Amino acid sequence: MHIPDGYLGPQTYVVLDAAIVPVWAIAAAKVKSTLKARQVPLMALGAAFSFVIMMFNVPVIGGSTGHAVGATLIAILLGPWAAVLSVSIALVVQALLFGDGGITAIGANCFNMAVVMPFVGYYVYRLIAGNTDGLRRRVISSGIAAYVSIVVAAIFAGVEFGLQPLLAHTAAGQPLYAPYPLSVAVPAMAVEHLLFFGWVEALATMGVVAALGRSDSALLEMKPAARPLRWLWAAFAGLVLLTPIGVLAPGTAWGEWGAEEMKARLGFVPEGLAKVGGLWTAAIPDYAPAFVKNPLLGYLVAAIVGSVIVVGVTWGVAALVAKRENDDESSAAAA
Amino acid sequence: MCERDIRPADLGGGRLRPSLARRTAESVGRHVSEVLENEDLATADGLLQRIDPRAKLLAILLFSVTASLLRSPWLLAAMFAIALALAAASAVSPLSFARKVWGSAGLLAVLLAVPAATRLVTPGPVLVPLGALSLSTPGVLGAVTLVLRVVASAGTALLIVWTMRWSDLLGALTRLKVPDVIVATLAMTQKQIVSLMRTTQQIHLARESRTIAEGSVAENRDWVTGRMAFVVRKSIKTADDVYDAMLARGFSGSMCLVARVQGGRRDWAYLAAAAATAAALLGIDRAMLR
Repeated sequence: MHIPDGYLGPQTYVVLDAAIVPVWAIAAAKVKSTLKARQVPLMALGAAFSFVIMMFNVPVIGGSTGHAVGATLIAILLGPWAAVLSVSIALVVQALLFGDGGITAIGANCFNMAVVMPFVGYYVYRLIAGNTDGLRRRVISSGIAAYVSIVVAAIFAGVEFGLQPLLAHTAAGQPLYAPYPLSVAVPAMAVEHLLFFGWVEALATMGVVAALGRSDSALLEMKPAARPLRWLWAAFAGLVLLTPIGVLAPGTAWGEWGAEEMKARLGFVPEGLAKVGGLWTAAIPDYAPAFVKNPLLGYLVAAIVGSVIVVGVTWGVAALVAKRENDDESSAAAA
Repeated sequence: MCERDIRPADLGGGRLRPSLARRTAESVGRHVSEVLENEDLATADGLLQRIDPRAKLLAILLFSVTASLLRSPWLLAAMFAIALALAAASAVSPLSFARKVWGSAGLLAVLLAVPAATRLVTPGPVLVPLGALSLSTPGVLGAVTLVLRVVASAGTALLIVWTMRWSDLLGALTRLKVPDVIVATLAMTQKQIVSLMRTTQQIHLARESRTIAEGSVAENRDWVTGRMAFVVRKSIKTADDVYDAMLARGFSGSMCLVARVQGGRRDWAYLAAAAATAAALLGIDRAMLR
């Protein structure tokens, strides 16, 4: 996910380079207030660890191996703000000492891997793990958090790539930087992380959390959150309210064509698609509930319904895991 | 491992594919060697090594921004040629320099750009007829521009990596008013990275030396993540030790780093030449657009 120089135009990298500076300043202030003078060695070691963890070959399936970024793991161990600094320093060292990742793209790389990943990972972990002391729930939570965080970071990187043809092109429309539009760049980045790198990140994070939980569980103590969890809910609600913006985007996402659109593009509908395409009818097709006539309102209603279902299912699974752990502990205590 | 039978497939089945532990140890070893070789190159007697790190850093940043603003593939190729010439004048083998740039960033850019050169992605007149995968003229032009932009930028960045000692870079950052706490953290990070990389390499070599058969994927994964956890514990323990050592030497929370670098006329001349080159390239680029 390290973006080299040349793929992002100045309109993107200048904005992200400028945006990352205040984030570093806030992170430094937060870390200083919690770690005091101890911050320098801890940040340096956190950065060194972040750098070295990317070198471990993690076996996934068959003979394939991959490298983890480790940002969620560091956020769980040191807290999200400390992770911002540690992963950023590791990325800067990678760019300046090894030439890995661009110099002008430092802001973009830090935004994706040192801001998005730790915060998404940390809050997903907090949300699922709650205040449990049970190792199994923490391990599962860390895996889900790592998986979600790297996929979200990859989507951000995909958006940055996909915006380039819109932001910078010649008079004839030829892209000057990353050449693929959003409809290609976002699915390409998301799919490779959903199918492979997300699992590498999840397996590595779960393995380390499990090993630390068995040998040195004090390291897994909940670190002070950047903000109380209610801010996460506020941000989440804000995102839900912004979903009608999606209606403004014309066309269908690349690769998500239905039979009619497929026929318009290819001139025919593949036999398999025609056979199975109509087997399932969604409850809210095209994110447009039948009982809402206004498309913007319909999109919003679909977002609220979807969010409630996802949060409800996650909550239910977490409650079941917690209950099972409590039962196990009660049985162990009784024995 | 010892509780299950060893199958021929575990021993590689006659294949000579190195084990996971050996592959990781070699990869980490290459990175350690790279750090040490970079330090050797950075202390060689060459043009860029004699320039003040601040001037060098500013010039390279200027070149990186210039590479991102140019539109002409010819001028981007010229920028790469300038980086190659600067490398050659700085005791860096041009062949090694070109191989490093094209073998990593260049290759990735080619792989990414080739599909964009087809008419499927970039419509336009056919330049290379290949049936459904024919390459279009604007597609090829865009792909060539992207690849040259990436190698010009990567070549420029490699000049920092190969001609500047890490300590000089930190000195330059201090003189450029980067907060001391950040520079101190960067300094400590580089030392700890080398130390942790050596530990990681030794862990994997030790595993390799006492393994006669590759375990299952799950066993290997457990082992790898267990070693990662060891590196976490070692990092935190070392951070505590370093902090105790800092306290023992009178550290009271504030830092003041001494920058040893001195600038002179040669450095100003270099910076002026870099600025003039960048301005000339951008001027020609804009003139070519009209």
